[in-house]
Amino acid sequence: MVLKWLAIVAGLTVMGARAPAAEVMPTGGASPAERNEARQNGGIRGRLDIRKIDKPVERRPDVAAPGAAGPRDVPDLRRGVVYLESAPRSAFDERDPGHAVMDQRNERFVPHVLAVMVGAIVDFPNSDLIYHNVFSLSRAKRFDLGRYAAGKSKGVRMDRPGVVRVFCDIHSHMSAFVLVFNHPFFDVTDVDGHFELPSLPSGSYTIVGWYEGEARVTRSVVVPPSGWAEVELVVQ
Amino acid sequence: MLGCAVLALVIAHDAGAQILPEQPISVAGGHIVLGAEVSATFAPEDPGFFNYTSYEFSALRNLRLSVSTEIRATDHLQVLGEVRLDQGRVLEAYGLFLRVRPWPARRFDIQAGRVPPTFGAMSRTAYGSTNLLIGQPLAYQYLTSIRPDALPGTPDDLLRMRGRGWLSRFPVGNTVDAPGLPLVNTSRWDTGVQLHGLAGMIEWTGAVTAGSLSDPRFRDNNSGRQVAGRAVVRPSAAVAFGLSAARGAWLNETLEREVSGANSGSAQQIAFGVDAEYSAGPFLVRGEAIRSSWRLPEFGTLQLEDPLTSISSLLEGRYKISPGLYLAARGERLDFSTIRGERGLLEWDARTWRFEGGVGYSITRNVIVKGSFQRNGRDGGRVRRETLFAGQVVYWF
Repeated sequence: MVLKWLAIVAGLTVMGARAPAAEVMPTGGASPAERNEARQNGGIRGRLDIRKIDKPVERRPDVAAPGAAGPRDVPDLRRGVVYLESAPRSAFDERDPGHAVMDQRNERFVPHVLAVMVGAIVDFPNSDLIYHNVFSLSRAKRFDLGRYAAGKSKGVRMDRPGVVRVFCDIHSHMSAFVLVFNHPFFDVTDVDGHFELPSLPSGSYTIVGWYEGEARVTRSVVVPPSGWAEVELVVQ
Repeated sequence: MLGCAVLALVIAHDAGAQILPEQPISVAGGHIVLGAEVSATFAPEDPGFFNYTSYEFSALRNLRLSVSTEIRATDHLQVLGEVRLDQGRVLEAYGLFLRVRPWPARRFDIQAGRVPPTFGAMSRTAYGSTNLLIGQPLAYQYLTSIRPDALPGTPDDLLRMRGRGWLSRFPVGNTVDAPGLPLVNTSRWDTGVQLHGLAGMIEWTGAVTAGSLSDPRFRDNNSGRQVAGRAVVRPSAAVAFGLSAARGAWLNETLEREVSGANSGSAQQIAFGVDAEYSAGPFLVRGEAIRSSWRLPEFGTLQLEDPLTSISSLLEGRYKISPGLYLAARGERLDFSTIRGERGLLEWDARTWRFEGGVGYSITRNVIVKGSFQRNGRDGGRVRRETLFAGQVVYWF
C-alpha cells in the first residue's frame, strides 16, 4: 500500500510529463501529508474479491489482412474500484482535482482503470510508434482526440461524474475506463483487490464495488469514531 | 428486422445495458475468435446501374451479414475465414485460408487458400464499417463492358456496349447478357498463395493466384496464373505511400483457343496502382490512381494492336467534426483508351465520374449510421446523369 501512495505522489508530481504511468493513479486531490493524516483518522478498508476475472478483448479477426498483426500487450483486468455511494458533507470542500495519465503502450491503455475527481485532466500520451485515436461516446464525457503519433499527448478535462469508456478508433481491441467522482472517497484496488477509503467521519455509509463497467456489489458499512471498518466485498 | 435490432440496441444502450455483443466472441481459451458485421444499405433504384456489382445487385441496396472466424491453432498456424450473406440470400465463403508464420517473432506470413486481395489501397476499405462513405470506389465496383467469357467480333461490337457494363453482350463466346468486369473486383477473393512481410517502414505483399484482378476465381478458367504485388512505405505514422502491380490471364481458355488458336494465357490483364494516405488529428485523406489494361486476342476483324486500357483516379477525405460525427467526400473518375470504329476514334467504354459526399454518426462505438449523396455521370449509355441519396446502418463486433 505504501508503494501505491508513492505512485500517487509521483503521478501528481510529474503532471503531464512522459514518465511511464503508474498502473494505478487515482487523483483524490489531497496532498500526501493530508492523506497520511487522513489514514490516521481511519475510514473503510478491505478487499474487493473478484471471483471471475474478465477476459481481455480479443482483436477482431482481420480476414482481409495479408498477414497477422504484430504483438501487443493485454490489459490487466484484476483491478476494480470501490467508492462511497454518497459522500459526507466535507467531501465537497474545494480541492485540486489534479492530473492523471492514461498511457497508450503496445496497443493497450495503461492503466486499464483510472479513477479521478470531477475537474481532473486526464492526459493520453501515445507511447507507440503507430497512430492511436482516443475517443469516448460516454454521456459523462464525449471526446475525440483525433490521430496523433508517438511522443504526443493530449488531455481531456473530466467535467461530469460518471463512467467514461475510452476506446481507440484505429484499434478496436483497445478499451479502458475512467471513473469520475464528485467526491474523493474512491480507490482503485490493487491486483489483489485491496482498497482504502481514508479520512471518513464516523457514521453509516454505503460502499460500492465496481468491476469492468458495472457496479457489482453494494454494502452498508459503519465507520467507528476512530479506526478502520474492515470490509470484504465479493464480485461473483 | 435489422432496424428493430438496432433500435433495441439503442434503447438498451440508453438503459445502460448492452444486449448485442460489443466485442469479438472468444471461445476455447482464445483459440477461436468470431467477429461479425451487419450492414443495411438503403437507396432508391439505380436506373443507370452506376452502383451495380458483379453479383448483379446495387451496392447501395443491400443487406449484408458477414461472419469472420480466426482459429488460432498455434503461434505458427491459423485458419481464417469469412462467410457473407448478401441481399439476405446470396451466401458465399468470401475468404478461407491457412496462415502460417514460420518464425513467430518475425512479421512474415504465408497464406494459402482463398486469400484477401493483394492489389490496391481500397480493397480493405470498400464496404461497411471501414468505408468512409456508402458507395464503393468506381475502380473496385463499376462494371466495364468487357467479359471473360465473351468477345466482340469487331471494334464496333465493343463500342456499342459503352456504358452498358452492368449487362453487356457480345457475339463471340457466351452470347447471353451478363455483367462485365470492374478494374479490380472486391466482390470476390482470389485463390492461391500469398506472402506478406514487414521490414522497418516497408510492408510488402506478393501473391500467385488463379484468377485475375478483374475476375478473381475459386477455380481457374485458364492456365495462366496471376502474379500480384504491393509495397507500402510508412515514413511516419501520418503518411503512407503504396505501389501495387498485377499481371494475370483474364480470358476464358476455351474461348481464347476457339477464336485465335493462341496459347492460353496470352490475353493478360496488367495493372499498376499508386496510392497515398495522410492523416492527422481529425483529418484523413487518401488518393489512388490505377492503370489497368486488358489484351484481347486478335481474330477476324478484331485486330486491336494495343490493349484496352482504363485509368482510375480517386481522392477521398474525412473530417471529424465532433465525437462520433464526421463528414466525408470522395471524387473519382474512370477514363478509357480509344479504339477506331466505323465512326472514328472513340473511348472503348464511356468515361465515368462520381462525386459522393456524406456524413457518419456513431450511435455507439460499434453502431454507425451513414447518409450520403451521390452524383454520377457518364459519357455514354442510356442514363448519363444520376443523383442518388443513400443511407446505411452498420453494426459490428
